[in-house]
Amino acid sequence: MNKGLFGCLGVGAILLFIVLVGGCAVAASYNRLVPLQQKVDQSWAQVQNVYQRRADLIPNLVNTVQGAANFEKSTLTEVTNARASVGRVQIDPNHAPTDAAKLQEFQAAQGQLSNALSRLLVVSERYPELRATQNFQNLQAQLEGTENRISVERGNFNTAVQDYNVAVRTFPTNLFAGIFGFKPRPFFEAQAGAEKPPAVNFNFGSPAPAPAATAAATP
Amino acid sequence: MQVTFEIMQRSPRRSPRITLRMQFCLGTLVLFAGVVFTQAAETIPPRPDRYFNDYAGVVSPNTAQRFNEQLAQFERQTSNQIVVAIWRKMPSQSSIEDFTQRTFQAWQLGQRGRNNGVVFFVFIDDHRMRIQPGYGLEGALPDITCNEIIRDAVAPRFRANDFEGGIAAGIDLIFKAIRGEYKGTGKTVRETGTSQNSNSAGLLVFFFFVLIILLAMRASRRFGGYRYTGVGGPFVSGNWGGGGWSSGGGWSSGGGGFSGFSGGGGSSGGGGASGSW
Repeated sequence: MNKGLFGCLGVGAILLFIVLVGGCAVAASYNRLVPLQQKVDQSWAQVQNVYQRRADLIPNLVNTVQGAANFEKSTLTEVTNARASVGRVQIDPNHAPTDAAKLQEFQAAQGQLSNALSRLLVVSERYPELRATQNFQNLQAQLEGTENRISVERGNFNTAVQDYNVAVRTFPTNLFAGIFGFKPRPFFEAQAGAEKPPAVNFNFGSPAPAPAATAAATP
Repeated sequence: MQVTFEIMQRSPRRSPRITLRMQFCLGTLVLFAGVVFTQAAETIPPRPDRYFNDYAGVVSPNTAQRFNEQLAQFERQTSNQIVVAIWRKMPSQSSIEDFTQRTFQAWQLGQRGRNNGVVFFVFIDDHRMRIQPGYGLEGALPDITCNEIIRDAVAPRFRANDFEGGIAAGIDLIFKAIRGEYKGTGKTVRETGTSQNSNSAGLLVFFFFVLIILLAMRASRRFGGYRYTGVGGPFVSGNWGGGGWSSGGGWSSGGGGFSGFSGGGGSSGGGGASGSW
């Protein structure tokens, strides 16, 4: 009789302990997720910052290059067009994108601008008198610095997203992270264009697979 | 790094709760292992003890000492931390920008909050150099200025094999560019002994987790589940024992020694310029 009562009490105490520990674990995980998510948003703001810095350099660059005698017009218009299309991709600068497609669109536009700019710099090799001007040298230094900043901030962003995603997906946080609205975030792919696998077709008599399925796949 | 679980079946039937616990413990350990590996993946030179580090031997010891004291004095006056390092070859397969960025972050140049550090790296055999400021000096030392310092002052002297002169000119121009930006306290980070030790918070969390795991072990042992061995040794020492650098304070400026350098906790966003000669 007495033994049974003690047994009940013991089980009750253990249950209470489990509930308490569980509650503490949930609260601790939640408190851990909040700063991680803020870090993601913060590094996203930095990413936007450095991309904006590059976009701001372009009018000056275009003006300087235009001044050079008979500079190739096609590369210039390419840069101007790419910059315009970058401006059309609207993403909230203060909150990291939650939609992978949106981020990919942003990345594609920025990648196009990167390509156009590097082509412009390559073409400018053919204009020694342009490269000798102080203005062009300064712009080139600024562009190089900005490209490096972009890669640094993108790396920081990816690290922040990785930390956050790991936290969201790890047991036991994954059990309730979704309930509180913590969802895994997309991050930057290695290279614009590299996310599309090359079309390799091994036709061993079977019908060719649908190409749309591979293009949509993201890690 | 091996963790061994000894599963001892005391009773013929095992409750599912115990296997869940085991998963939890395993999960926690895997998480920690991940942290350890990401920290150990980079190959970055350890944070130096001095402001001026000539690993290539192109500057005479006396001049090196003078440069070091100049740079230490500059930190006392302005709190800006400038570290100069000269290597024969870049100790990394990566690009100079990437190497500099990762090294900057590892050495934590500049004061925390101000981010007012600058590195000036020279790779003699590669004929490459880079000046990179922290976030807080991007305004005073913009890319254009870094580029001009390298192109107009340092590279011509390096081309004439005047490494001492080139480095002196580079240091001088960096001084000039950033002198007015911040005010110093009259002491270096090393001298105030406030070197950032980022490990302490992590250490606390780690011990907290160890405590929880041990408690869980003890609790589960009561149910007659499994015994767990081998949490110690390599795992613990591999992670936390390795971070040996910290607030030194061992080197003082008096008595014929040199002024020691300690990172203040600043970081950089990849600004600056690279150049060659």
